[in-house]
Amino acid sequence: MPKSGSTSKITRRTALAGLSAGAALLAMPRIGRAADETIRIGFPTPLTGPFAAEARDQVKCAELAVKLVNDKGGIGGRKVELLVRDDKLNAGEAATRTLELIEKDKVHAVVGALSSAVQLAVNEVTRARGVIYVSISQSDTINEAKDFSKYTFHEALNPHMTTAAVARQTLKKGMKVAHLVADYAYGHEMLRGFKRAQAAIGADNVGEILHPFGAADYSTFMPRLMSMRPDVLCISNFGRDQANAIKQAVDFGVKQQMKIVVPVILHNQRLAVGPDVFEGVVGGANYYWGLEGQSKSAAAFNAAFKAANGGAIPTDYGAYGYSGVGSLLAAMQTAGGTDTDKVVDALEKLQYDLTKGPQHYRKCDHQSVQSVLVLESKKKSAMAGDNDLFAVLANDTGSDDMLRSCSELGHAT
Amino acid sequence: MSGPSSGELLAKPAPGGLGRLLDHRVLLSIAVLAILPWLLPSKALAVNVLIYGVVVMGYNLLFGYTGLLSFGQAAFFGAGAYFTGIAIGRYGVPWFAAVAIAVLLSTCLAAVIGIVSTRTRGIYFSMVTLALAQLVYYVALQASSFTGGENGLRGFTVDRISLFGLQVNFLDPVNKYYVLMAFAGLAMWFQSRILNSPFGAVIEAIRENEQRARACGYDVERSKLVVFMLSGAISSLGGCMLALHLSIVPLDILHYQTSGMIVMMVLLGGARSFFGPFVGAASFLILEDVISLWTPHWQIFVGAIFVLFVLFLPKGIWGTLLDAIGVGKARP
Repeated sequence: MPKSGSTSKITRRTALAGLSAGAALLAMPRIGRAADETIRIGFPTPLTGPFAAEARDQVKCAELAVKLVNDKGGIGGRKVELLVRDDKLNAGEAATRTLELIEKDKVHAVVGALSSAVQLAVNEVTRARGVIYVSISQSDTINEAKDFSKYTFHEALNPHMTTAAVARQTLKKGMKVAHLVADYAYGHEMLRGFKRAQAAIGADNVGEILHPFGAADYSTFMPRLMSMRPDVLCISNFGRDQANAIKQAVDFGVKQQMKIVVPVILHNQRLAVGPDVFEGVVGGANYYWGLEGQSKSAAAFNAAFKAANGGAIPTDYGAYGYSGVGSLLAAMQTAGGTDTDKVVDALEKLQYDLTKGPQHYRKCDHQSVQSVLVLESKKKSAMAGDNDLFAVLANDTGSDDMLRSCSELGHAT
Repeated sequence: MSGPSSGELLAKPAPGGLGRLLDHRVLLSIAVLAILPWLLPSKALAVNVLIYGVVVMGYNLLFGYTGLLSFGQAAFFGAGAYFTGIAIGRYGVPWFAAVAIAVLLSTCLAAVIGIVSTRTRGIYFSMVTLALAQLVYYVALQASSFTGGENGLRGFTVDRISLFGLQVNFLDPVNKYYVLMAFAGLAMWFQSRILNSPFGAVIEAIRENEQRARACGYDVERSKLVVFMLSGAISSLGGCMLALHLSIVPLDILHYQTSGMIVMMVLLGGARSFFGPFVGAASFLILEDVISLWTPHWQIFVGAIFVLFVLFLPKGIWGTLLDAIGVGKARP
């Protein structure tokens, strides 16, 4: 290695040339960005943390929706790009990431989030800046007038409609119901939904126990729940908590005494613990791949997903990623671009059928009106294959009656 | 607080030009912060560096300079944010007044927690501060009609502010950065004055030898309480900045993990150094931001880096750097 020789050869002229080349290189992305016409969609989701499995499915399906549009030549000749960011299941982090997406990456819209608190944080940032946000995680609060804006859309089911559909299938007048609830917004909203449905049906509440979010040990709750002697046990939690709670309930012999019901029965969690534990558990869902026998759009979605992911099947929360991004892109297609007001207008008028049947966004709160499935986990011997997880007990067609009325939510009617 | 002359008497003259330069540490720090948004990948990240820098700087007063290892600093960070949000959203207080009120109320909270916790020492102090901070967390969780509970506080977006008769678009990231930088500058000036005052010498004396400080006639208990309140006040200002920046207050801000993160940042940057907290906050946030873009397992890398620092660079990035250029001893 030459030591001093090479360094001393850098003259002022070469230094200047190097510096200006460096500066030009730094300035390049800005110039490039101004010229390109890519449509950018921000996608904050919790890639780390207890909901990571569901989040990864959401990303895969969102990427599929983008790919399908790009394969057909994009939107008005413009390619679509998905910018995935890890929100770490933390509202502050999600707000920061969303600010970055809007300010630095100049996204045209945001889709994503997988927690009540996180989606409300994202919504707060996007609505102040007039950016469209399509939420794909359950929440009742986001429908309410206080958090609503014309830029806020909610593609996921909400706890109110989910619990009502599940309760209709599982509860009868005079039944005794106990609740095990995760102590955070999701659990509270599900509990509120169940209690409202219970009251309408005439079932009795015999007790409720709150457990901390992310709890691993449920053994202290089970004897207390069993001593309440309910006919039905509603377990309102999400992600890994659901698998852990059901597994331990089964170990305690809860199933011999009562039926286990969950607001949302998760594909990934059922796969994680196996058929014997989940056998007979009933829960709601937005999507199940087995719908393909009844629905052409489900068959098409499954086929596209399989082709893009080496034969794997799409899951429930994955489907939200697909329909959330898909509905937004369809509206952009109608609006002929990314002009926010035109896209909002197109989304309000959009009738879409991407995964399971007709859907549309209700005018007053932008909640997606859609069907709710009620599924029962199959016995091992009744399963036709490894992916034949659930039997469809009900497929309630979407209607405005499923939702809380606009006036109840505080919207001007 | 005392006059500047006595403060200058206490500050040891630094050798050479570099040391002389460090006499203007507040101005130097502000100069560095002023170009920060153009060095970092995004403006939102730069604002976070400001916010956490101020919070950690307040904490450094307690931990670095007084030697009190508190595990409850998140309480004041969160209190500042919540009080600001509630004042603006619920009572319609103008943003500037809301910040003043929030710092005042948080200082009162620090007084209450300080009265209880500064009576204890060592690990007991850490545990008591942790327990009391958890109490604040659960109050915020339960008082959901005020705080939004689990869903966090929302509905107080500050989009336009008027500065000296000038209407400023606060949603613009650059405007927001410089307005918040003014707050950070104020906090730095305040902290610099504290450190240069006789009181600043007293708290360092307490850190070095509590018995001896007592024997010299200083009221150790009262000094600890005062420094606890000052530290809480500065950290709460960071909370106010966060509320203005994100226009939400997440409940996680009060979680003990936030307290842990503050401790990590101060160790990373360098406890006992004036600019160390900003270096620590910046390094931590940049690591998190950059690494989490290419792997979901970013925590492994951040954790490993942290372990390496504790083992090999106990003075942190900034402390080691100052030592290396030979001014660390002169001005800690």
